[in-house]
Amino acid sequence: MKMRTPLAWFNLTHKRQRLLTALAGVSFAVVLMFIFKGFENALYDSQVQLLKALNGDIVMVNRIKTSMFVPEKFARRRLYQAEAFEGVDAAYPLYTTTADWKNPDTKKIRPLRVLAFNLNDPVLPIPEILAKRSALQMPRTAIVDSKSRSEVGSLAIGTVTEVAKQAVRLVGTFSLGTDFTSGNGNVVMSDQNFIRYFSNLGPDDDERNLNTVDIGLLKVAPGADVGTLVQTLTQRLPIDILIYSKEDFVNKELNYWKENTNIGFIFSLLTVMSFLVGVIIVYQILYTDVAEHWAEYATLKAMGYSNFFLLKVVIQQAVFMGLLGFLPGFLISFGLYRVTADATGLLMQMTPPRVFNTLVATVIMCLISGAIAVRKVQSTDPAEVFGT
Amino acid sequence: MSHSSNDLSNHLSNDLSNNSADQIAVSVRHLDYYYGQGDLRKQVLYDINLELPKGQIVIMTGPSGSGKTTLLTLIGALRFLQEGSLNVLGQELVGLSKSALVEVRRNIGFIFQGHNLFDSLTASQNVEMAVEVLDDWGNKRQRAIEMLSQVGLAERVDYKPKALSGGQKQRVAIARALVNQPSLILADEPTAALDKQSGRDVVTLMQTLAKDQGCTILMVTHDNRILDVADRIVNLVDGHLESDQNFTTFSQTHDPKALV
Repeated sequence: MKMRTPLAWFNLTHKRQRLLTALAGVSFAVVLMFIFKGFENALYDSQVQLLKALNGDIVMVNRIKTSMFVPEKFARRRLYQAEAFEGVDAAYPLYTTTADWKNPDTKKIRPLRVLAFNLNDPVLPIPEILAKRSALQMPRTAIVDSKSRSEVGSLAIGTVTEVAKQAVRLVGTFSLGTDFTSGNGNVVMSDQNFIRYFSNLGPDDDERNLNTVDIGLLKVAPGADVGTLVQTLTQRLPIDILIYSKEDFVNKELNYWKENTNIGFIFSLLTVMSFLVGVIIVYQILYTDVAEHWAEYATLKAMGYSNFFLLKVVIQQAVFMGLLGFLPGFLISFGLYRVTADATGLLMQMTPPRVFNTLVATVIMCLISGAIAVRKVQSTDPAEVFGT
Repeated sequence: MSHSSNDLSNHLSNDLSNNSADQIAVSVRHLDYYYGQGDLRKQVLYDINLELPKGQIVIMTGPSGSGKTTLLTLIGALRFLQEGSLNVLGQELVGLSKSALVEVRRNIGFIFQGHNLFDSLTASQNVEMAVEVLDDWGNKRQRAIEMLSQVGLAERVDYKPKALSGGQKQRVAIARALVNQPSLILADEPTAALDKQSGRDVVTLMQTLAKDQGCTILMVTHDNRILDVADRIVNLVDGHLESDQNFTTFSQTHDPKALV
């Protein structure tokens, strides 16, 4: 079967200069959409990167801990109670608190989030932490997040500085990243060191011991259903705690930030504006092309081609533009994501669904432009070609 | 011997019986046409009566604004009609819907003053676009090349319009109009943009091809250098059909300069 003459393709690629301008226009809109969407996602993604890194199928928190921002704890015996249920393999407590950190270089004090757990529990299975387990068992040692803000100071192994006004020795760094509740960064230590630092504070401070837990993690036996287990535990355990599957817990935290901040609105507005800019650019290019060829299109009509055929030609041209312009836009954005991530420490993630969504948005953008530009062709009267 | 005379008499009787309706390509009766609506309504064609027999080359002349182009577009099924009667290739156009008009157009070849070729397509592809309007276009490339060879462009089939001269472009446009072997060709000033020699070549070409394919040509022109190819010359003045003569009578009764 022979192919119809691909008129749309030839019209699009005939003039190199115009094709390049067209693709640059589409790419520009694609880059804008990627960047704004990227910032939005980065702000959301970084809120849950710690939660995603935690090793547990079910998460237990205090009933009034509506977000990671709320420093409410629950009794550790709830974890032991949960561990007794069939299907629960293990239960790990995670202790968190905010502590003052002295920058070893400038000696300035900055708040930091402390994460503490029993080093024998695989709570935060990050390779750098696992490798330093024996060093972390020494009294008054800690490992610091290398993605902490620069205000934390130098993080070389062996550096001695202060946490909660007490000396601490750094045994290495790991890579996690900051969020709205982490202050200037994260520091991980053993639960034994956690008591050393935070059980004997002054009368004004919130003293800690290992009887109250910030986040409880449950490992589920292979084959056990997480959903039913969450239901059973919720029904059978006291109501001072809430129990989530890990996925629900991550989504709850995301929704908290989505519903309580303007991040979504602001960046959605910017993304929509980029989309509209793209529609206008593509429309301009398509309209110029259609207007230049109106006599040829009118001749096609006189030859017996229907309006529908011409509509298809213009729409095809629009879709080709979208697809061709998307590729360079995507590659540029990919590079910009890296640059932005390195410069700001934001978690700029280019995931396949996000790439796909932007691709769909780009094609829709070009379809809208095509639909507006095609009206010029539709209204062309072949009778007007005579006598010109 | 008896066999061949039988054949001859059959042939003659066929000719005679077909002579009325079947031999008429275009028949215009009492056609009025108006532009605009309400108070601005202006009549441009008054009671036009015209018959174009099959195989004739008819040239339509007349001063600017006399309604020539309007009549051409009406016959070409490019305008919607309400009054009178206009029969093109056995189809009554008055009162026909838009999509039905599109169908009628597929049997008509159009040649314009401008060549109106897509500059992104090669000569062959431009002609192929015309073949593709039909349902059966599997051999489009072959047909396009054949047609382009007939207009003397066998060496130029894969050239884009930019690489062709004015006369060559107009010949591609003619190939495009003729490739589907239409029964009727409507041409609007096909030589206006060409020099004397190319203009002559183009018209001679149209004449030859039309005779070969037996199709009717209606051509609007101001170019009195090409009037001699016509079987008939129709003169339109202010929307009225002023005269309908053969070339010899026309050239005797009309001052050539008055045509322009």
